[in-house]
Amino acid sequence: MLPLSLLRTAVNHPMLVELKNGETYNGHLVNCDNWMNINLREVICTSREGDKFWKMPECYIRGSTIKYLRIPDEIIDMVKEEAQRPRGDGRGRGRGGRGGGRGEICLNSSLYNSHSE
Amino acid sequence: MSYLPGTASLINEIDKRLLIVLRDGRTLIGYLRTIDQFANLVLHQTIERIHVDKQYGDIPRGIFIIRGENVILLGEVDDEKFKNSGLEEAPIDEVLEKQRSLQLQKQKEIEEKRKALRERGLEPSHLESIQEDF
Repeated sequence: MLPLSLLRTAVNHPMLVELKNGETYNGHLVNCDNWMNINLREVICTSREGDKFWKMPECYIRGSTIKYLRIPDEIIDMVKEEAQRPRGDGRGRGRGGRGGGRGEICLNSSLYNSHSE
Repeated sequence: MSYLPGTASLINEIDKRLLIVLRDGRTLIGYLRTIDQFANLVLHQTIERIHVDKQYGDIPRGIFIIRGENVILLGEVDDEKFKNSGLEEAPIDEVLEKQRSLQLQKQKEIEEKRKALRERGLEPSHLESIQEDF
């Protein structure tokens, strides 16, 4: 399991992306590719100092500008399930859609909501 | 002990609890779960450790996917040496408060330096910008 495969597993889940310049982006992962380029939706951007906030419906982030991504804990469990499932049937890849995000990432975004706009 | 060349040496570190220092100066501690050819890392059950002087505090952070380019170093912590390092754990709120006041103090010093330079007819430039963009 490579880091980028884990990222692919996290599609449709909330995450926090910090760029090299210190800005952070909170949103749901829509898509990603082999260069770590990503699309997010329902995004809240936070300035480097954490004092300014911007809300945007979607955004694209070039992979090379990323410092790190923080993903919810349940992604690891999903990976375990996927590894146990017999390969090759191609169907019944359950648990799509929006996973109920838990934990700090979500708490943060609700906190940010009150500041933005 | 023999090491694999370059990034491949990280394979020996998988599933160990490692300390990682990033280019922005942050310290993370977590289980290294997987890596790739770019030394991108996945950390599990990660904590961020904030050091101020001889005190430190931890903040739980969960799972990280770190882009390899941002890593300065990583390695296992030697418990024995850590015990003798003189570092002591403190409540995280306390540590953060100290960090904040230290930052404010530094900011003030920079402002004063800037003022002093201006008074001498010099235009302060990049010298005191702490921001590290790369």
